[in-house]
Amino acid sequence: MADHEIRTIRLDENEDFSNTQSYGQRIVTPVRFSTDPRDIGWVRENIPCQTACPADTNVPAYIRTIMEERYGRSYELNRLANVLPGVLGRICSRPCEAACRHGWPGNGAPVAICHLKRAAGDHKQIGHRITEDLYTPTGKRVAIVGAGPAGLAAAHDLTTLGHDVTIFEKEDRPGGMLSYGIPEFRLPRDLLELEIHNTIRLGVDLKTGVSIGSGENDVKITDLLRDYDAVLLTTGCAAAIPLPLRNIGRDDDVSLSVDNVENGLDFLMELHRGEEKQVGKRVAVVGAGFTALDCARVAKRLGADDVAIHIRTTEEYIPVTKDEIHEAKREGVIIHGLRTPVELLSDDEGRFRGVKFVQNRLGGWRSGGRRQAIPIEGSEFDEPCDTLLIAIGQKTVTDILDVQVDLDRWGNVRLGQDGMTSIPGLFSAGDFVNGASTVVEAVGHARKLSVRMDTWLMGRERRKKVVKISSVDEPLRQRSFDFIPRQEMPTEPLSERINTDNKEVETGYDQTLALEEAKRCYLCYHKYEIDIDNCIYCRACIEVAPRDCIKMVDGVEIKGDGTYGSLHEASEWDKVGAIWVDNNECIRCGACFKVCPTKCISITRNEIFYQDL
Amino acid sequence: MTEHYVIIGNGVAGNEAACHLRQRDPESRITIITAGRLLFYSRYELPRLFHEDCDWRDFLVNPVEYYVENRINVRRNSFVTHVDAQRKSINLAHKESISYSQLLVASGGATNLPAELSDFAPLLNRFNLYTAACQVRDILPKKGKVVMLGGDVLGLDLARNLINEGYQVILVATEQTFWPHRVDPDERKLLLGALTDMGVEVIENAKIETIQEGAPGMSARHILFDDGCEIFADVVMPFFGLLPAADFMMGSGVDFERGLLVGTNLRTTDPSIWAAGDVCQIWSPEENQYRFYYGWQNVKKMGEIAARNMTGDDIHWETATDHKMYIDENRQIVSPYWEHD
Repeated sequence: MADHEIRTIRLDENEDFSNTQSYGQRIVTPVRFSTDPRDIGWVRENIPCQTACPADTNVPAYIRTIMEERYGRSYELNRLANVLPGVLGRICSRPCEAACRHGWPGNGAPVAICHLKRAAGDHKQIGHRITEDLYTPTGKRVAIVGAGPAGLAAAHDLTTLGHDVTIFEKEDRPGGMLSYGIPEFRLPRDLLELEIHNTIRLGVDLKTGVSIGSGENDVKITDLLRDYDAVLLTTGCAAAIPLPLRNIGRDDDVSLSVDNVENGLDFLMELHRGEEKQVGKRVAVVGAGFTALDCARVAKRLGADDVAIHIRTTEEYIPVTKDEIHEAKREGVIIHGLRTPVELLSDDEGRFRGVKFVQNRLGGWRSGGRRQAIPIEGSEFDEPCDTLLIAIGQKTVTDILDVQVDLDRWGNVRLGQDGMTSIPGLFSAGDFVNGASTVVEAVGHARKLSVRMDTWLMGRERRKKVVKISSVDEPLRQRSFDFIPRQEMPTEPLSERINTDNKEVETGYDQTLALEEAKRCYLCYHKYEIDIDNCIYCRACIEVAPRDCIKMVDGVEIKGDGTYGSLHEASEWDKVGAIWVDNNECIRCGACFKVCPTKCISITRNEIFYQDL
Repeated sequence: MTEHYVIIGNGVAGNEAACHLRQRDPESRITIITAGRLLFYSRYELPRLFHEDCDWRDFLVNPVEYYVENRINVRRNSFVTHVDAQRKSINLAHKESISYSQLLVASGGATNLPAELSDFAPLLNRFNLYTAACQVRDILPKKGKVVMLGGDVLGLDLARNLINEGYQVILVATEQTFWPHRVDPDERKLLLGALTDMGVEVIENAKIETIQEGAPGMSARHILFDDGCEIFADVVMPFFGLLPAADFMMGSGVDFERGLLVGTNLRTTDPSIWAAGDVCQIWSPEENQYRFYYGWQNVKKMGEIAARNMTGDDIHWETATDHKMYIDENRQIVSPYWEHD
């Protein structure tokens, strides 16, 4: 570090240094905390994986610690954002990977962020120390209804914030859909139980087998509102949406009236409650989500010969991970696209014998990047099968409420700005508010809601969001890392899957694979900046840049919220006002840093952090 | 402005399209992108490897000079990773981006391997490429034993050639046998009988339990069936038909089901992107569904239609075409899909 000047700003986590930027010399500050909207905006726009994660997971940080072989620390960094890293490392819907810069056109495949999350959990040491930021007890009592992912996440966060939390769960085991909706071959129950235990061991009082409702033996919401300072509803979406068919009423559920036709969600929940389930030799599954895939794969394990999933659009648009589709297909599940069920078929004796479908074509776009399916008139055809599993979606059940709360047009609970329902002291989080979503969305929403609940309970905000900016001495990546292919998840051979009960299919990265995959991460939380007062415009950085990531500009747009917008590239040399690193294009290879003769390029690590108020 | 036609795929459809594009738009730039290392060669001729002393030059459909004279730039050993329909560019695995005015996807089909056999993939020999075919020729001893799994028309074409050269062929019949022909149970029985008459040993209703490497000094492959039967072979080859090879189109915004969805004019849902050959599913108004069409003649026709429509015509694919497999007067099975130029 002797070849450039370093100034160290004193370290104080509660001081705001956002206005102390200066230029004219290469300044490397060990750490500072900023509330400047440009810095917060930079993180939001330049770390796409973290922005896409509903739980706001600091993805680059935990991948970087895997590179350092600090698996325990990596697990803890995950746990700061969600309390179930091992679980989500297996069954997350991975919005982060869809956003990953490495997956952008021309950059290759996205980093296997989810597999790395799992690797952190798998390779941390036995007896690993869990860290919790505990606040002093507040004396406030909170009741949570539902021990699914949202309820568990909220229970953990509210407990660390000092509140006394009691969870009421109607099933015998906590976990909600994690315990009852997801097959063990995707989510081992010993791991789930361990992470749930870690979530509630801080003093959460878990009461299972307690039914909330308005019946005689039920615990009533009004009782909870009376006995607790606040109540949080996290009962999720536990009711299957009935299959709409010709000639039946909108709310009629054929699974109740036709033998061998079942709702997929009920099928899975009954199976995981310990009931013996059976399917025919030919199984048809309608639906396009994780539940549909799980039903199909379970059907294979229950002995079905032919299992087909029938979807309205095409594989490209179904909201499940490519890995899940791949594994289902390997197990022999067939996916048929562009078809919608219109009738159930029965034989002369009235027994179910198949489904009549209509052929579709793709129509316009729906929200969430999905497509419309337009039925083609006169294109009906019959598909014989012995069992039909319906997995077209789930909805909330509000009849557990003995109080009148405002609902939105989809029947979900409506929340105010403070996260509260229309009943004072009654909050809600997860799928009960948002409709059927994913585990990570439920965890993320519950986490945010916990903060709002805390604010309401305490009468003030207790934390603020800042950007922690730390100096980085040198690039942590090598250009060769950009050419490492995505490491595939090792899996059990087929012979070990179908004929053996519930063996986990994905076996996880070993440390070699984890390290190799971790190298692929661009570490987007690294910000490369050029000190234009020291820059001699030699263009050396531009020459070595592997992408169009360093630009000569005559200005930078500042958006209304104070964040940086697009760059105005200069077309003529005499108009150049600065050389600017386009962090959107930058793949953090460090080539510019290494070649700069005046050391005017600096690297900082930018992370969202919460400071006490 | 000079049009730049980019064609992904170096097979029958792609080369036919390139030929017509050159004729109809002499000033244009034409680029063929292929993952392979060879120029366009006839895969239909590959069985010749078993009875002629030949190498890759003998399989080339057009000489090198043809591409020079027609200014058709063939980018070999180039893997397309993504198509950006909005920017009208394609990305290659070596981080290069190529812009196009109009794009024809004619990347063909890849060997379909059923999921239950995927664990045994390293022990199976394919016959879809020149290099793969040479490998089979090199490891197969004279009069050796070949086990064919499935038995699509490509496999059956190879089978009749091998039989003629004195090799032993065992066919493990499945529902993909005779693919892509649609055969009813009666026809199937007759066709399998004809295969037996030709000298092919047919095994029906057998489920493979495992495929193993043979013991040293023994046959190279050992197949065990779930009924306890077993066979030894020198080579085991899967012939379960083709799957469209167009994963790179995922996320491009172009409609895709099993293949690229196109109208009868072979245009995809993007006005600048067309598809032809085994990679596309063509809308069949007669059948109210999207369908694949296979075989040299069909695919060649598609290449021509796509090229003509890319250059301003409005001609359409006749979707009612269906070919039947039959048995000729010499008790030989014949597939129209074997016909080629």
